[in-house]
Amino acid sequence: MSNPEIAEQPITSMANSILTSRRFWLILAAIVISLLPMIFTDSYWRTNLIVCAINVMLAIGLDFIIGYAGQLNLGQSAFYGIGAYVSTLLITKLGVPFWIAFGCGVLLSGIAGMLLSLFGVRLRGHYLAIASLGFAVITYQILLNWISLTQGPLGIYAIPPPPALRLAGLPIIEFSNLANLFYLTAGFALLIYVLLDQLVRSPIGETLTAIREDEVSAASLGINCQKWKVFAFAIGSSIAGAAGCFYASFVGTLVPDAFFITESFTILAMVIVGGMGTLIGPVFGAILLTVLPELLRGIGDLRLIVYGVAVTLVVLFMPGGMVQAARLTAARVRRVVRGAGTEATT
Amino acid sequence: MLTVLLQQGINGIVVGSLYVLVALGLTLIYGVLVQINFAHADIVTLGAFAAYFFTHAFGGSYLASIGIALVVGGALGWLINAAIFAPLRDRGSELLPLIATIGVSIMLQNAMLAWFGPIPYAFDTPYSEHVIRIGSTFFTVQSVLIIIVSTTTIGLLYAFMKFTFLGKALRAVSQDRETAGLMGINPNYLIMLTFVIASALAGMGGALLGPVLVMTPFAGTSVIVKAFAIVIIGGFGNVEGTIIAGLLVGLIESYTTQFLDPGLIDIVVFALLLLMLAVRPTGLIAEKREENV
Repeated sequence: MSNPEIAEQPITSMANSILTSRRFWLILAAIVISLLPMIFTDSYWRTNLIVCAINVMLAIGLDFIIGYAGQLNLGQSAFYGIGAYVSTLLITKLGVPFWIAFGCGVLLSGIAGMLLSLFGVRLRGHYLAIASLGFAVITYQILLNWISLTQGPLGIYAIPPPPALRLAGLPIIEFSNLANLFYLTAGFALLIYVLLDQLVRSPIGETLTAIREDEVSAASLGINCQKWKVFAFAIGSSIAGAAGCFYASFVGTLVPDAFFITESFTILAMVIVGGMGTLIGPVFGAILLTVLPELLRGIGDLRLIVYGVAVTLVVLFMPGGMVQAARLTAARVRRVVRGAGTEATT
Repeated sequence: MLTVLLQQGINGIVVGSLYVLVALGLTLIYGVLVQINFAHADIVTLGAFAAYFFTHAFGGSYLASIGIALVVGGALGWLINAAIFAPLRDRGSELLPLIATIGVSIMLQNAMLAWFGPIPYAFDTPYSEHVIRIGSTFFTVQSVLIIIVSTTTIGLLYAFMKFTFLGKALRAVSQDRETAGLMGINPNYLIMLTFVIASALAGMGGALLGPVLVMTPFAGTSVIVKAFAIVIIGGFGNVEGTIIAGLLVGLIESYTTQFLDPGLIDIVVFALLLLMLAVRPTGLIAEKREENV
């Protein structure tokens, strides 16, 4: 009997190099995104797809702050709300073009995150968690009570979708069409993912991880911990701001209740269930926790209990989330396959 | 003018003493475990609902329902410690238990939403309608009851911590868990006891707050965010600071309602919290513990 390993090796190594290549996964993700609205043609599921894309942005933004920079931020709902309200008010009150308003929304929520972080940089752990929660409460109350500006609980209505894209030589792309709006939001989510992935792999990512693991040691190596923590916070909060801008133009109405502190917990749940400290985990966490309650809609009010149960069980039994579960399953499959292989050769 | 000041002062102290009950639980747990129980809010809510159903569905007396809420709260505290904090204690992460209890909180709130519905319950007690008048200020018998029950409870807790063996053991564990263990104190038992006491206080706070609150499954959240502010303003793990800060927040609440706008209460309280963190992160009364600052 010839040794099967020699014959198989080139194939498996090629398969491995494809599977570990970022470009392969990027192309695959782009293909999946472009196919999704063709598979889900009804407006109900297309709406859910857009919500998924927005939640993916929120989750990876928060994961960058918690999972990579190690700062428990319970104020993500505030940055989400700031992005949504700033861009919407600029569009509806001042008639600013969408993309400029979008830029302002992202910038302002980033600045808000930076200020909160500059303030909270001396605080660690629980203190930062409560300070950021307090910031979220204040932001929510301002949105609710500054009625002359935000119309409070009555909300802002008839927010236009992003303006149609007119590229020379191409048909006009209208974003009142849900499929096109999904391409826009999912494309943005993918772009943010790729940029964060680059950032996390760069020396900056390693610096942040070093700070997360042991701040004192990192500082002793000459790392300016405060600067990098503020940086991570600003990046993560401006991503939430971008998600807020898309949310407003997609839903068309804005009420403060969408940005109550429970929204922060929902986003946190997505990060935890997916796998904190990896970028791909929160993506799947966000998708799962957006789609699963929709599938469970028949059970009525019980559907949101899923969030709570999932977070609790994951923290207790699988703190690495879906990523850890996937790795364990893959390792088990590999062991079984290898076991079967050695049995066959002997 | 003076009457208004006095009247709102009394209202503030009534609400404030209830916040103290809730915040003391958080502070006790933090003192022993350096952990935050986010589901503390829902123990308050469940305490309120337990008292409501005991009085309104079974026709029990309101005073007895306070005891029921206390037991319900204590039982929940025991359960949360056994299910969440005890298994996670050895992981050594300061944030995992907090995140797990956020999960418990989402779960409990939505379970209550499924059972009780989103419409606020009207919690009437026989004491809400009787009004006592002294000079030109008014207060209901309910607020007198709240003051009596909460001061007695806080006083008993204080005496328990200061004078009994268990109270001393508890303080020993919060100062240094390992050394206390070496001295023959069982830290697991005392941590469990702390959870039961802290959560019983929260449940009782719920029964007393029920008639004051807009009683929905999410009622606890508005109380707990103030309780967080109180424990930080007062200094985490510090009992005296928590009492002072709780009354302070109650007064801020009633004076803001009177002179500014009720919508601004949370903004004022949390602005004070952020100011406190910026100026004096150890709280009103400085603690020796500084590892989180």
